[in-house]
Amino acid sequence: MRSNIAVAAILLALAGYVLVAANALPFGTFHVPQTAFFPKILALLLLMLSGVLLAQTLVGTEVRRASERIPPEGWIRIGVTLAMLATFALVLERVGFLLATFLLMVILLRSIEAQNWRKVIAVALATAVISYGLFAWLLGVPLPAGILGI
Amino acid sequence: MDLLANVGLGFSVALTPINLVFCFLGTLVGTLVGVLPGLGPVGAVAFLLSLTFKMEPASAVIMLAGIYYGAMYGGSTTSILVNIPGETASVVTCLDGYRMARQGRAGVALGIAAFGSFIAGTVGVIGLMFLAPLLGRAALRFGPPEFFALTLTGLTLVAYLTQGSMIKALIMATLGLLAGTVGMDPISGQERFTYGTLTLRDGFGLVPVAMGLFGIAEVLENLAHIGSQSVYETEIKGLLPNAKDWKDSARPIARGSLLGFFLGILPGPGPVIASFVSYAMEKRLSPYPEKFGTGVIEGVAGPEAANNAATAGSFIPLLSLGIPTSAIMALFMGALMIHGIQPGPLFIAKYPELFWGFIASMYIGNAMLLVLNLPLIGMWVRVLKTPYGILCPLILLFCLIGVYSLNANVVEITIMLAFGIGGFLMRRAGFEGAPFILALVLGPIMETSLRQSLLISRGSFGIFVTRPICAVLIALTAAFLIWPVIRPKKRSVN
Repeated sequence: MRSNIAVAAILLALAGYVLVAANALPFGTFHVPQTAFFPKILALLLLMLSGVLLAQTLVGTEVRRASERIPPEGWIRIGVTLAMLATFALVLERVGFLLATFLLMVILLRSIEAQNWRKVIAVALATAVISYGLFAWLLGVPLPAGILGI
Repeated sequence: MDLLANVGLGFSVALTPINLVFCFLGTLVGTLVGVLPGLGPVGAVAFLLSLTFKMEPASAVIMLAGIYYGAMYGGSTTSILVNIPGETASVVTCLDGYRMARQGRAGVALGIAAFGSFIAGTVGVIGLMFLAPLLGRAALRFGPPEFFALTLTGLTLVAYLTQGSMIKALIMATLGLLAGTVGMDPISGQERFTYGTLTLRDGFGLVPVAMGLFGIAEVLENLAHIGSQSVYETEIKGLLPNAKDWKDSARPIARGSLLGFFLGILPGPGPVIASFVSYAMEKRLSPYPEKFGTGVIEGVAGPEAANNAATAGSFIPLLSLGIPTSAIMALFMGALMIHGIQPGPLFIAKYPELFWGFIASMYIGNAMLLVLNLPLIGMWVRVLKTPYGILCPLILLFCLIGVYSLNANVVEITIMLAFGIGGFLMRRAGFEGAPFILALVLGPIMETSLRQSLLISRGSFGIFVTRPICAVLIALTAAFLIWPVIRPKKRSVN
């Protein structure tokens, strides 16, 4: 219920934003529609649909499957994982593929479901080397070398 | 005779060593993602899409198709042995498949699932072979108004068939269409909503968005509830069903094949719906419906056949009309377009070796899957025992590398993560990702055909109701939208 109202509010704001932002683009006419034509129609449609969702939620006719509650440790796992992925994106080109991948794997393997250290190092090392070999050598993808220089 | 020559041409393409290797790789990866809960076929195809850039188009399509139908095979293994569906089209297989395993008949359940899939897969391919060229020829007469109406009907039908709230699916489709307007205007080339970002000039990339919505979001969902899943410890023996098993399964497999194929053609998650409808139908036709859910073989044979036939059916609208009808078909379209190939009415005539090679590869792939799934079942059981704590970092890393390797662009990783977080939160609020990704791909087609139609009609929307095919499609769209509002409030839940 609360999540529906929040989503509807965000969508209404988004639709409003698109309508305003599209003003900077030429709309054309119905005879010769231009760049802003389609986005504006969609924004109006979104406005209408979000309104319906809001109304359905408030009246209580919206069929809802309750999603399972996430326990606090679940949120922590999600937070840590996302933070690691974002950090990977930030440092990848500076640190280099091999080192960044190895570190990412070590942290994820320890944080999601703590594996023992020997396994962590073995899996992380193998993954970094194998994926580098597969992508850089076999497929010729230019992976960043970074501080290791390879 | 034409047909025979075409099939011959197809096999000459599919049987080249390189294409055999890619077919095998596709079915192998497909079985793997099918077996492992946590990464579905959409995520896997999105990931491997970046690897297909340097391949021949035929090899690329052959491999990606292998992943799709391979996942349908693999999914049943997890349903039967763990009671967790490896992917959504195998949800109903849990009902009777897992019960059969508990009764010591895991081998037979796995066997009939594989044989049923093989038979249905073959039936589906035969149907595809006959129907796609026919529809392609008919579609040659389609103009922009028909294409607009077709995309509109497709998206509405996807929303109508969704398992959750229809209004939410429509919202996701609208958001997908809006996301599709980011980048250059397909007609004038003017930039829209790019905010000076170079990456967004070509719009949101299909791969980062799909990987975010289907790869990252799925992993986040699993991270929330890492539970202990136990593989049912039983000796798997007697994979070959006996005469009575065959007698009980023959009709469900036949019905499931036909039903699945036709439901697969419709927009939406064809294989998922096909498996549910097949289960419901078998239960209704059975002399002992009360036994369904306690381990009857019909409950495995029918749905497993249906979901495999549906995979073949779902290629028809894409290959003959150029309209993808599900998230995975949207990715296929992306794979073809990367190679400069536009699927649509002219596709089969222009690229016969590609179309027929792909068809032939599906026959070969189905046979490969039988070998991969039956004698090698022990290997898949061991794979299933991989702890999630190891699997999950691997999936995430694949997503990261898969997206980065597209254009060596870190911004695309950020886009993937953003869609992953958004997709996860939206999913928790009851919004599915499939209508979004489909709309993202259909958006430019829809916009171009709408604007061209209005140019032709000098601004009159009447063009959509005065042309017969258009009128029928628009009437169907209206019916899908109105029916949920006026139908009697009785929901039957299987």
